[in-house]
Amino acid sequence: MTDFRVEGRGRVNRAKPVSFTFDGETYRGFEGDTVASALLANGVHLMGRSFKYHRPRGVVTAGSDEPNALVGTTRGKGRFEPNTRATIQEIYPGLTTESQNKWPSLKFDLGAINDRLYMLFSAGFYYKTFMWPRSFWDSVYEPLIRKAAGLGKAPTEVDPDHYASRYLHCDVLVIGSGPSGIAAALTAGRAGSKVVLVDETAEMGGTLLSEPSVSIDGRPAWDWLAGAMAELDAMPNVRRMTRTTATGYYHQNMIGMVQKLTDHMGDVPEGAPRERMWRVRAKEVVLAQGAIERPMVFDGNDCPGVMLAGAAQTFLNRFGVLVGKQPVVLTSHDSAWYSAFDMADAGAKVVAIVDTRESVPQALQNDARARGIPIHLGHTATATKGRLRVAALRINPVHNGKVGAEKMLSCDAVLVCGGWTPSLHLFSHTKGSLDWDAEAKAYLPGHKTEDVHIAGAGRGLWGIAAALEDGTKAGADAVRSLGGSAGAATFEVADDRTGSGITQKELPTDRSPGKAKAFVDFQNDVTAKDIRLAVREGMKSIEHVKRYTTNGMATDQGKLSNMNGLTIAADALGKEAPQVGLTTFRPPYTPTTFGAFAGYHKGAHFEVTRKTPIDDWAEENGAEYEPVALWRRAWYFPQAGEDMHKAVARECKATRESVGIFDASTLGKIEVSGPDATEFMNRMYTNPWTKLGVGRARYGLLLGEDGFIRDDGVIGRMRDDLFHVTTTTGGAARVLNMMEDYLQTEWPDLRVWLTSTTEEWATIALNGPNARKLLQPFVEGADISADAMPHMSVVECTVAGFPSRLFRISFTGELGFEINVPARHGRVLWEKLWDAGQQYDICPYGTETMHVLRAEKGFIIVGQDTDGTVTPEDAGIGWAIGKKKIDFVGKRSLDRPDIVAKGRKQLVGLLTDDPKTVLTEGAQIVADPNQPKPMKMIGHVTSSYWSEVLGRSIAMALVEGGFDRMDDRLHIPTETGGTVTAKVTGTQFYDPAGERLKVE
Amino acid sequence: MNAPVTSFDAVSVAVLPPVARFNLRIAPADLAVASRIFGLTLPAKIGEGARNGDRAAYCIGPDEWLLHAAEVDQSAIMSGFDTARAETPHSITVLSDREIIIGITGPAAIDLLSTCCPLDLSRMAVGHAKRTVFDYAQVVLIRDGDDAFRLEVWRSFFPHVHGLLEIGVRELAIGL
Repeated sequence: MTDFRVEGRGRVNRAKPVSFTFDGETYRGFEGDTVASALLANGVHLMGRSFKYHRPRGVVTAGSDEPNALVGTTRGKGRFEPNTRATIQEIYPGLTTESQNKWPSLKFDLGAINDRLYMLFSAGFYYKTFMWPRSFWDSVYEPLIRKAAGLGKAPTEVDPDHYASRYLHCDVLVIGSGPSGIAAALTAGRAGSKVVLVDETAEMGGTLLSEPSVSIDGRPAWDWLAGAMAELDAMPNVRRMTRTTATGYYHQNMIGMVQKLTDHMGDVPEGAPRERMWRVRAKEVVLAQGAIERPMVFDGNDCPGVMLAGAAQTFLNRFGVLVGKQPVVLTSHDSAWYSAFDMADAGAKVVAIVDTRESVPQALQNDARARGIPIHLGHTATATKGRLRVAALRINPVHNGKVGAEKMLSCDAVLVCGGWTPSLHLFSHTKGSLDWDAEAKAYLPGHKTEDVHIAGAGRGLWGIAAALEDGTKAGADAVRSLGGSAGAATFEVADDRTGSGITQKELPTDRSPGKAKAFVDFQNDVTAKDIRLAVREGMKSIEHVKRYTTNGMATDQGKLSNMNGLTIAADALGKEAPQVGLTTFRPPYTPTTFGAFAGYHKGAHFEVTRKTPIDDWAEENGAEYEPVALWRRAWYFPQAGEDMHKAVARECKATRESVGIFDASTLGKIEVSGPDATEFMNRMYTNPWTKLGVGRARYGLLLGEDGFIRDDGVIGRMRDDLFHVTTTTGGAARVLNMMEDYLQTEWPDLRVWLTSTTEEWATIALNGPNARKLLQPFVEGADISADAMPHMSVVECTVAGFPSRLFRISFTGELGFEINVPARHGRVLWEKLWDAGQQYDICPYGTETMHVLRAEKGFIIVGQDTDGTVTPEDAGIGWAIGKKKIDFVGKRSLDRPDIVAKGRKQLVGLLTDDPKTVLTEGAQIVADPNQPKPMKMIGHVTSSYWSEVLGRSIAMALVEGGFDRMDDRLHIPTETGGTVTAKVTGTQFYDPAGERLKVE
Repeated sequence: MNAPVTSFDAVSVAVLPPVARFNLRIAPADLAVASRIFGLTLPAKIGEGARNGDRAAYCIGPDEWLLHAAEVDQSAIMSGFDTARAETPHSITVLSDREIIIGITGPAAIDLLSTCCPLDLSRMAVGHAKRTVFDYAQVVLIRDGDDAFRLEVWRSFFPHVHGLLEIGVRELAIGL
């Protein structure tokens, strides 16, 4: 193994060697290394296989834009992560990494057969190949594509890590800590603004970390950097955050940032969160994200060892690693010349600088000659030699568009630079416009929609002096926008490496361009040829080209490939780039874990689970639960050996024969109070309220403006000016919001106020012939005898000594009471009733029994027997409409032609011919089972149960013209292919006269 | 209720004993009447609070006040408002059982609340109250001191909110 580490270079901690493994082999690096820099220090360039062709791939970049060096990392049991960028992942003792997309090994991969068949895998390959025969899609094509799709192995175990979240507020958020970001942070910090400075890597400095030869204010760049960091850290109003990626820029300066907390640690504190999602609300944002270097497009440009020149410079200066000892530099921008000089000065023998430009500043040429570096101007690159590592670069002179004779340059690395692309991803998230700069051939930030400032290379500037100056200006602008003022700051920069360059389409070649494997998107294996083919096949917008070729998709999000792809597509179309467009950058900027998005929402905190004050008792007594809105409600209480059917049958029987006890605490409760309460109720609900006496209760029906049923519930009049409104469990918040909406926007003149009391009260329902006998001894301050307290009434009293609002109402058809007591007493009262109820064989019942008992009486459940298209008349409860009322919400809609038309779906009962058959809820209904398919559906089953008291099944259904079909026989197709026949009836199946309410 | 306390150096979370709690709705013009009945000058501006002994009042809406008092005074306060209702229309509702109160104290109190509360709490004045959210739950947040908050949350949301606070306390103790 050769050591490519250069003495005296880099910022890694030479005193702290770190061992880790890659594909089972142990490698040594230093604290501060990334997986990529440590592997390169060991001479390893081959780090992965490409997605489609399984071509050998090496590291291309030194940052988060890396398309190739994606590895699997293992941080212990359940902590496997695919597609970790080797250029970002820091090494620590014991880190285990592996290459991806290869079998049996990275160096010998059978999947590379795809590479030999590449002519078959051209753009649009999937669309063309997997079209016919249609029957192959489900069984052959889709499984095949799914198997081949995706890079890396998906984790199979539950992620044991914790993920944290935090909100953060600041005056100025500076994203990116290169020279412009630091200057902005210093300026705003000195002005006293609350500043947050973030950088995605482990260390701040950005370009400065790769350019140590520059001096600022008379100090070497790194000394100046250390001073700037110390000054920022000394300001209490500045917060610096490393390993923190701003992933998305949302409305009104809300920025999502993901901070990696432990992925770089060998020894993770027990229970520590792995990552934290910061939700930042910044008054001003400074984007100082710099520019992304563009690869060059030529045959064999993906061979391991071919990488960006700027990356090589970073590996050398930041990590002390030479990426090759005999590199060739291939460029169209001055910046790569400096990379060549740094490499040469560090001991590499630079084989040549090949520049596609015919004219390059003389000073650069002199500097190259002084180092003995041969120069080839006006040249193109036409091929690379080598498979697992580049061995030579084939170059040719280009003159007047003609490609001349080849020349082979032996090398162990090719350092390319096809220009620089301002990083505009976050700006693009804001929907700010991008303006085309025809001279720079780049998109630059244009019209801004947020309070944002873009500084430095991110808006096309070049050189450290320019970046510092621009960052200072952005920081001062931000402070000014906040109403403050910032002191002027100037920087003296010496040895700055300014420069310029050109960008281009795929490089010209003397060979067949159709055979060139000249990659535009390394990650998705898209070549220049693919893009030209897409254009030939009719894709005229870059958005179509992108989808046809997959260029710039997945984690790349166009970082490396967008501008090269666009330039080539524009050339193929014979248009300027802005006429072909630019694809949209979408959040997140870099791949983000699901854990970071989920945050604390896992396990018991995945979602709110609301529980009633009596929930504990139900749990202790073996309840099965069902979710209702955010609540969990006791569904039924199975005894030993009982299934749901048996338990519910028993609960129904016990309630109808003696007494059942039910936790109704989840029902929504709203206090409607004020001198105009009656008027408000008259306007909101269909029913008339004026004549409802104090102490009486009434079923209330709530419609939407469209006349369809929204909610219902029993409403008690507590005083002239006070109503106790109940709503459905799921409707509680919605009904209160609807009422507040009308009150605040339509009737602000009404003197009435609404307060949610849902959780103030625990509500216990007692139902059955013995309900009063059980309750009476507990009641003080009220006479609850049948005469004194008729059905549908309410009284304030004490029950078991607790202050109570006691209703006599029934959702079962039996004698029923609902006892509201302050929530903290709910369970105590329940247990007192439970103990006393033993003499009546009291039975606790859950929501299923409640549903059966109400269905036997034909009472509807809003949202089950209605679906937002059902009027009161459709549901058979037109009696709940106050016919003499001038108005109520939804009244006018009830006269609409389609509402009064014949043939609407109406709620009817269904009794199956075979009484033992219980229909499936949701099943469709047809009038004639022998009609040709597709049959006409005339309705569906809304509720269906076994009725123990009737000894048969019952059902309710919404059926077209249902009220006119009484005694007709309808047919319900079953899942197994048969049909069930049922007779249309009314919906009151049990005790239609209501005799059972009259228990003395 | 016993007060389970989760405490580390930086911040502690405690369940506080219940109080008599009322929701008062009244026209701002009639505020003096309510102040007289309640025995405390009610604050006129949204967010502001007033406190005297065990009586406290927080303005949390244009015509909405959250009132706290000793539990033994609950019925007397209701009677006082009852007497005034004919003359001065208003709505007063007992909510002593609707919410549970959590106390959050310590130098990292704001950090802890910032795990799930989107407000910039550093700008909230001591003695003020805000209706806001904590994760998915609506809460009222009262600031009693630089490092001291009370959070009132509906009873059924309490386990969710309290559990998240406990996770947050452990996270802050680890210090990452």
